[in-house]
Amino acid sequence: MAEGIGRIKVRIPQSISKGEVISIKALITHPMDTGLIKDKKTGQIIPAHYINAVDVYYGGTHITHCDWTYAVSANPFMAFYIKADKAAPLKIVYKDNKGGVWEETVQINPK
Amino acid sequence: MKENRKNMILSRRQFIKTTGVTCTALLMSGSLPSLLKPAFAAELKEENINDVLKKYFGNRHIEVSHVDLRAPIIAENGAVVPIMITSDLPMETNNYVKKMYIFVDGNLNPYIASIDLTPANGKAAFELRIKMRKTSNVRAIVETNKGQLYGAIRSVKVTIGGCGG
Repeated sequence: MAEGIGRIKVRIPQSISKGEVISIKALITHPMDTGLIKDKKTGQIIPAHYINAVDVYYGGTHITHCDWTYAVSANPFMAFYIKADKAAPLKIVYKDNKGGVWEETVQINPK
Repeated sequence: MKENRKNMILSRRQFIKTTGVTCTALLMSGSLPSLLKPAFAAELKEENINDVLKKYFGNRHIEVSHVDLRAPIIAENGAVVPIMITSDLPMETNNYVKKMYIFVDGNLNPYIASIDLTPANGKAAFELRIKMRKTSNVRAIVETNKGQLYGAIRSVKVTIGGCGG
């Protein structure tokens, strides 16, 4: 299961004009275990394992922070907006409760 | 032999009587459902949504306006309920939406997520997929940098719960 965790896909609009408010869609593979479900084979409770913090940086500025609990669905999908006023990298950093950190950077190039 | 048989009848009577009384007592007290549940489930306690809201916002007034919460009327799978929060509040340098909260009344822990926004977001909107244990209300609460609270509430029917337990 572990090797499937942390694959990130980020989707940005194809053409961006300067100053436009664009939507960013991001998806990460993660089990988001609640710690409430039993493993059907072993009968043991699967320990809680979920993403609890997401940070978005645009050109080095911290613009969005998410505080999540295990009640966010498995393979969390999110969509948010940014104002594309500069050509800069957009970095999304995911952190989970077991110390896992995954990040993905996309370049925003407004015309 | 006769003596023996008498004893047996008595003990059978005794048995039926005892079982009957115990069963009735169990049914009357309503403890049967909790006995049938797994032990760990009995320890989990659902938090009251009003207590949770009080914990996060105190006695501050939450105005029902300026927030559009989109959620399905019927969610077939409680493990994936797409929700969308949009606010028409401005995102300017000194007047913006600072934080968004998502609560689900029916979950063991009603607090789902919070999102900190800045004016660089340009638009106060967020989309997320959440888990819901049962049919209940979803609440979105938005806080501005001036400390005003706005909210919206939607009822979502869940046919298969998504939190386990």
